Amino acid sequence: MHVHEINPKKTLITLTIFVIVIIVGLLTITNPRLEYKLTPNETVELVVWDDSYVFPYELEDVIVGAVDTVILIDIRNTFDFSRGHIPGAENISAVELLSEDNIKRLKKLQKEGICVLIYGETQLQANGPWMVFRQLGFSNVKSLMGGYQYYALWKDNLADSYGDDGYLLGAADFDYSDIASNVNIDENEGDSEKTSITVNRRKKSTVAEGGC
Amino acid sequence: MNKNYFILFGLLIVLSGGLLFLPEKTNYVQQSPESLMWDIVQPTRYISTDQVAKLIIEKDPLFQLVDVRPDYDFEAFSLPNSFNIPIDSILTDEANDIFNIEDVNTIFLSDDDIKADQAWVIAKRMGYKSVYVMKGGLNCWIRTIIQPQKPSESAPITEFELYNFRKGASIYFTGAELSTNSDIKQEVNITRKKKETVAEGGC
Repeated sequence: MHVHEINPKKTLITLTIFVIVIIVGLLTITNPRLEYKLTPNETVELVVWDDSYVFPYELEDVIVGAVDTVILIDIRNTFDFSRGHIPGAENISAVELLSEDNIKRLKKLQKEGICVLIYGETQLQANGPWMVFRQLGFSNVKSLMGGYQYYALWKDNLADSYGDDGYLLGAADFDYSDIASNVNIDENEGDSEKTSITVNRRKKSTVAEGGC
Repeated sequence: MNKNYFILFGLLIVLSGGLLFLPEKTNYVQQSPESLMWDIVQPTRYISTDQVAKLIIEKDPLFQLVDVRPDYDFEAFSLPNSFNIPIDSILTDEANDIFNIEDVNTIFLSDDDIKADQAWVIAKRMGYKSVYVMKGGLNCWIRTIIQPQKPSESAPITEFELYNFRKGASIYFTGAELSTNSDIKQEVNITRKKKETVAEGGC
């Protein structure tokens, strides 16, 4: 006698449980909280053709409030922040910016089309965090060229930095091969011109110098 | 045969269709964004140009330099024994072979440190462990190693030691001749005292 013939409903129950387990399993495949939206190849394209930098002179409009679609976020530590920051900037560290609340806020800002401009002490400091947020799909996150150091240098006449290119990074400052083949280290740098020492001895008073 | 078996069979086929919607599996383990960010905020990935110079001079076998500049720049000038992997080909198999050498630390370098840092972020995301960035890049290399600046007279002794090391490194890397100007003859003009005229007469 076959086992199912004892209780035909047994198969049905097993079947239902089986299906439920599979469906529950499929539904609860845990998606990690944060997922890369860009593939590694897209990330390479991003850094080769990057255009999501903000020039320092563009800050002028943001600071005076002419543009209200930009939010400034200072990722430096609180000590540096307290010693000076770009007006209107919020101080949120890069790691903190990945917290659940902040991610929610960034998503909201992205929907509203508001640009999130992050900056550190130098552009290098903001570079990594900027890349992480771009890879997470936040195309509205941008990085400030030159970082805070450059801003602090030009803060009184920010618009004038248009003609300056000190914030540009990634370019060679030298013709390396030319310099490396023409090196001449001058030991006596600084005092290389010949110095002649003149010693003027005090004249002995002539003993019998006759006076009047 | 029980028709329930057919139902069960059919259901399994249908459910297996769900596999199609699973995220694509890759053959490498990517680092999660959170732990990547933790790595990014730590400055431990930066290696100074002095350290790199030392590694090259000592012929340390446990590191390799990867130059991420375009190939025409690399051909014009490159550091000794460095590989050229332009940043746009960092995900190729050849690059993978270079990064995957066991126990060998990879140091990225470019004109300054931005591009090298970007290459580092990508490599780190791809799960490569021992990758570093040469701080300041080649611009800093020229300023510190090739054209070292003499510290001021009042600088601490360590500055002079560093300067001496850099001077030696510069000679090592360029074959420059050290001109010491030691044969400068310094003219000493001594105005000798005039012989007294004893009987210098008055009026």
